[in-house]
Amino acid sequence: MSESPVTDRATAAAVAGPAASPAKGAAAGPAPGGRPHRKVRTHLPGTPWLFLGPGLLIVGGFSLYPFVTTVVDSFTDRRTLVEGQYVGGANYQELIHDDKFWTGLRNSLLYMVGVVPLLVILPLLLAMLVARKIPGIAFFRSAFYTPVVASVVVVGLIWVWLLDDRGLVNSMVTGLGLDRIPFLSDSTLLLVSAMLVTVWKGLGYYMIIYLAALANVPRELHEAAAVDGAGAVRRFFTVTVPAVRSTMVLVGALSSVAAFKVFSEVYLMAGPGGGPGGDDTTLVMLVKQTGTGLSGRVGYASAISVVVFVITLGLMLLVLRANRKEDS
Amino acid sequence: MRMSRRRAVAATAVALSSVLVLTACGSSDEGGSDSAEGKIEGTVDFQTWNLKTGFKGYFEKLIDDFEDKYPGTKVNWIDQPAEGYADKLSSDAAAGNLPDVVNVSPDLVHPLAKAGLAMNLEKAAGKYRGEYLEGAWKSHELPGMDGVYAFPWYLNTGPMFYNKGLFKDAGLDPEKPPKTYDELFDAALEMADESKGKIAMLGGIPAVEDFGRYGVKLMKEDGSGFSFNEPKGVELVTQYKKLFDAGALDSQALTNQAEATGRKFKQQSVAMNPGGALDLEKYKKEAPSLYKNIGITPAVSNTGKDNMYVMGVMVNKQSDVKPAAVAFAHFVTNAENQMGFAKEVTIFPSTKGSLDDPFFTKEDGTDEGRVKVASAKAIKTAVNYTPAVFSEQMKVVLRNEVAKAMQGKKSPKEALDAAVAECDKLLKTA
Repeated sequence: MSESPVTDRATAAAVAGPAASPAKGAAAGPAPGGRPHRKVRTHLPGTPWLFLGPGLLIVGGFSLYPFVTTVVDSFTDRRTLVEGQYVGGANYQELIHDDKFWTGLRNSLLYMVGVVPLLVILPLLLAMLVARKIPGIAFFRSAFYTPVVASVVVVGLIWVWLLDDRGLVNSMVTGLGLDRIPFLSDSTLLLVSAMLVTVWKGLGYYMIIYLAALANVPRELHEAAAVDGAGAVRRFFTVTVPAVRSTMVLVGALSSVAAFKVFSEVYLMAGPGGGPGGDDTTLVMLVKQTGTGLSGRVGYASAISVVVFVITLGLMLLVLRANRKEDS
Repeated sequence: MRMSRRRAVAATAVALSSVLVLTACGSSDEGGSDSAEGKIEGTVDFQTWNLKTGFKGYFEKLIDDFEDKYPGTKVNWIDQPAEGYADKLSSDAAAGNLPDVVNVSPDLVHPLAKAGLAMNLEKAAGKYRGEYLEGAWKSHELPGMDGVYAFPWYLNTGPMFYNKGLFKDAGLDPEKPPKTYDELFDAALEMADESKGKIAMLGGIPAVEDFGRYGVKLMKEDGSGFSFNEPKGVELVTQYKKLFDAGALDSQALTNQAEATGRKFKQQSVAMNPGGALDLEKYKKEAPSLYKNIGITPAVSNTGKDNMYVMGVMVNKQSDVKPAAVAFAHFVTNAENQMGFAKEVTIFPSTKGSLDDPFFTKEDGTDEGRVKVASAKAIKTAVNYTPAVFSEQMKVVLRNEVAKAMQGKKSPKEALDAAVAECDKLLKTA
């Protein structure tokens, strides 16, 4: 589609910057085509800020300001309804001696270790399955994506009913003459059950990312490998994996951050107390437990949040570094 | 287009300071007074706790009546969902947006009163004291603070429901359900033994009100700390541990919430569950086979007194329309309007004489009527066992420590000592 000469000139002038534009105040003569020039001002001071302003306001108000406040609060004894006093590193010192913090940290790390490898590998396999162009495949793609769009609360409740000691799964287990499996009463199994839900819910999301990556893998590479006698497994490792490696890194980074910050699944399955005796509490659950409500210890909860942030940032940097190393 | 660095920095500073102004939490002005003198006029914001769905008509009429009685007033009704109510209150309070009149429970009033946000009604509305049951009026007294910080509103208590069929299967007399804790423990162990651990008597571990009903002293006399780690408390946890080990407590008792224990009772895997007339209605609809076998008995108690749940209505000390707010809070909780509410739903008025109304003393032949009359009788002597200072965080602490005792990770004494130490710490920073 071609644009009008006037627009073209205006665009060119804007791109070229002030040097390419007519001098300020210069009379606008007739255009070569006979139509009058539209005066184009390219040197309006502050114009970019007008465009940036709304974004800056939103980022500043909803990301930067709360972040700075959280860091500041972590050095105070602020409570929900009481302004805090500066207490230096007391909250961080208390964290070191708080068993609940260590339980939370252990569970968050365990969650990451348990969930991330599955979320890197399984969606790739799933994506390879549904990448084929066969009739009706769209149905399966949609079906696998459905858990992603389902509310996490609904998903959590459904799984609680399924894994209850009188739920569907245990009914089948007892039907086979076996003992009930304490999915929701044993603290270890409870955490594993929550991981299962996270993996189940996340599969479709990462599958879509892999589908996009797989679409960019040249077909010829597979064909060449096949001609050379490579079987499906060998083609997977020598063609597919290298081609989607950067996507795998991305999925690993995204899923590890999400897994480290897990809240909903564990909260729904283990209850607000964090499972039997609080054994399944994760760090973000601990933030909620300590920092919310009318008597919430906002300062202490902020200190936990800062620790979560630092660990998450560290994880991201590690992944990026590993990726850069591979690239070089 | 270029902008000088200085101008860019200035623009950023302006943008950021605007953000700070826009998003800054309103710091609370603690200069409010406890006086409600003045003309009753203005717009009163009134917040209820999950009541709009069921009782819209009742509240709209109530508000119309108030506005007719006091021309020049307007009531703006806000209803908040049950889930996260305390969080909503805390964000409103922190932002300086607390409504003028707020539906609260005693544990919610405590931090608000300490932060200078709840009006002392003993001072502002002490003349109305005689209208309410003495125990109900005192339910919003707070340890370490003089005065009363909310009008008592509706009260509730509930019987225990039990499954006569499961009692019979376990060889227990379905017409003689346990009344004391000793009877309960014996029956529970017998049921677990008979059913080989498949049927549990109870669905959850003891909460603070169970400690109260067992006869445990929950707080020190001067209110400076908790005392539920006393020998009687340890005895209660020890008994529950025996039940847990024998399978007399549901296998998921350590994580079950009230909703889950209700579900287990409906599934007939738990034989006893506390509840009220509304639950009875639910059982009738959702679990007819359970309903055929349902038994109703007073809650198990060693003190002879049932637990009373109290709702209150507080007035924001920083309200701009205090006279109207106090008048409205009193209007909502007066005898006539509480009685009207009781006829809409099974709650019990906190006003003197209301419980003597035939509505609460004469059975109508239905099960719901039976529950209502039994509960009304129980509420006259009932006690709110949950200390007003016992926050949500403390409930989680107690629950988790008791669970550790059930798992055998700590002895009952160690668990309760730890719970008391943690709750005392939270009390000091509340």
